[in-house]
Amino acid sequence: MKTLVCVKQVPDTEALLSIDPGGKWIAPQDAAAFRMNRFDEFALEEAMRIKERFSGRIDVSIDSVSVGPARVRPTLKESLARGADNGFHIRVEEAGYISPFDTATLIAAFAEKGGYDLILTGVMAEDDMACLVGSLIAEILGYPCATAVISQKIKAEERRIDVEREIEAGCRECLQLDLPAVLTIQSGINSPRYSSLSNVMRASRQKIPTISAEQLAARQKTEQVSALFYPEKRSGGKILEGTPREKAQVLLRELHGKALI
Amino acid sequence: MKEMRITVIVGQTGTTVPPVTPEAVSFARELETHTGGFVQAIVLGNDVVGFAHHLAETTGVDVTGIESTRLALYNGEVYRDTLIKFLETDGPAVICLPHMAFGFDLAPRLAVALHASCVTAAEAIRFSNGRVGFVRSMFNGKLKAEVTTLREKVVVTLMPGAWSRPARRPGSRKQSVRIVKPDVFPSASQTVGIRESDKDMLNFDDADVIVAAGRGIGNPLNIRLLKDLAAIFSKSGIGASRAVCDLGWLSYRHQIGITGQTVSPRLYIACGISGAMQHLAGMKESRTIVAINNDPHAAIFQVADYGIVENLETFIPILLSEFKRQ
Repeated sequence: MKTLVCVKQVPDTEALLSIDPGGKWIAPQDAAAFRMNRFDEFALEEAMRIKERFSGRIDVSIDSVSVGPARVRPTLKESLARGADNGFHIRVEEAGYISPFDTATLIAAFAEKGGYDLILTGVMAEDDMACLVGSLIAEILGYPCATAVISQKIKAEERRIDVEREIEAGCRECLQLDLPAVLTIQSGINSPRYSSLSNVMRASRQKIPTISAEQLAARQKTEQVSALFYPEKRSGGKILEGTPREKAQVLLRELHGKALI
Repeated sequence: MKEMRITVIVGQTGTTVPPVTPEAVSFARELETHTGGFVQAIVLGNDVVGFAHHLAETTGVDVTGIESTRLALYNGEVYRDTLIKFLETDGPAVICLPHMAFGFDLAPRLAVALHASCVTAAEAIRFSNGRVGFVRSMFNGKLKAEVTTLREKVVVTLMPGAWSRPARRPGSRKQSVRIVKPDVFPSASQTVGIRESDKDMLNFDDADVIVAAGRGIGNPLNIRLLKDLAAIFSKSGIGASRAVCDLGWLSYRHQIGITGQTVSPRLYIACGISGAMQHLAGMKESRTIVAINNDPHAAIFQVADYGIVENLETFIPILLSEFKRQ
């Protein structure tokens, strides 16, 4: 059984982010400021668990794929270190915003040739927070898809997968999908493991093939970021100034004034 | 030129109007003032007649109810195939859905089928140079982006809470209600049921004060500090962002946000919480919000009444000692 995990490289959202002078994307970051999208870590871990579940019975391979400029390659290395068997780099030249539709079109064209039984993505990317790529891949390929998946039970022999997706009010929607299928994985479905030393060693030696985006599919612009800006502060809110002690005193006075303590 | 057709899609849950439906109508009306055209709503479900009439009366829009036993539970493929026949038209169109489990699942499916642009989790409309732009959060809410669409049709999902509910507009004109019962066919996926999750939720109803932990607390041992802080209030509880629950630092019973609980205590103290919309949607109605975070650019400061840019490991002990001195 062949599985494909889509991993995105994102800038660390906890780091300081500044806007590029062009005003349409963030300013170039140091290579160290990028890491794997956390939601994709859960997707990769879920693929590992499927592989382990079938160990000795069905051979499960895990490929990872990432779309982006040359700097995404360490993220693919990271996916190998975490246990993926092969990594593939779909190379685009621009370092700025790539629309979810473009990413999905490229991955779908790649995946179609690979004949994957199961394609996994994180529920969203931490940078654009779109929740789109997995569903778009499924629609382009004509595969069934479940989003925000919080548990799965794959029945490889029956070519079927049973999943639960997270919906509102603490409820879960239960679905059965025919394979091949696409799942977007919700965080918390598992606890992603760290890289093993043997996989780190293997990853450092293993080649990651590059496929140029132009070879795969024509890009079709569907939407674009026309401006990136800092949010406005809610009026009335204030940032307390002074030493920590002074801030604590002001805060206690304010809370006391509102009869909260 | 063809008129802009703005369609609000409502997935029926039981017999009540989903709370985000009036918000979606507000969005559609705002868009209509910029683009012209007309607004309509489509309701899907198993038993939609009463609901469709109620929606038309309270919002003043024309409503199409699509009814089938196969639509009782949401299924992305079935909903897509059923809806597409009603949405395929010549000319510009905006199709809007709430950014909830059903909306963000359905939106990309409709977008591919309609050859449309797709924008998710929109929070505002910007109109300039004859173009509509949608404002949405990126990078955990630290930055906002204006996204413009390049296709004639657009599917957009709306962040819950971003638009206010419209004033009732009963009888402003005669609204038509149309109920259709199309053939609905099975697909390569079936929704077989809804299950309550195993997570039992903490009851925050009695809590005047919630002290909530985000990933920025840095270390699960710091939850002790938050508990000490909560202890100075008589009725308090400990909340958490999703990230903290995913890390296993607190159980999912504590989770606040879109996929957790929605709370509105008198005082909400956000500790190390970055302030992504997914979390804000669950707590921004709190009466007073205090945010403690060492990142001055954290989005939580946009909604905080009092922002404290400090390392909470050092600040909370100082706050507690100052409290005891009083």
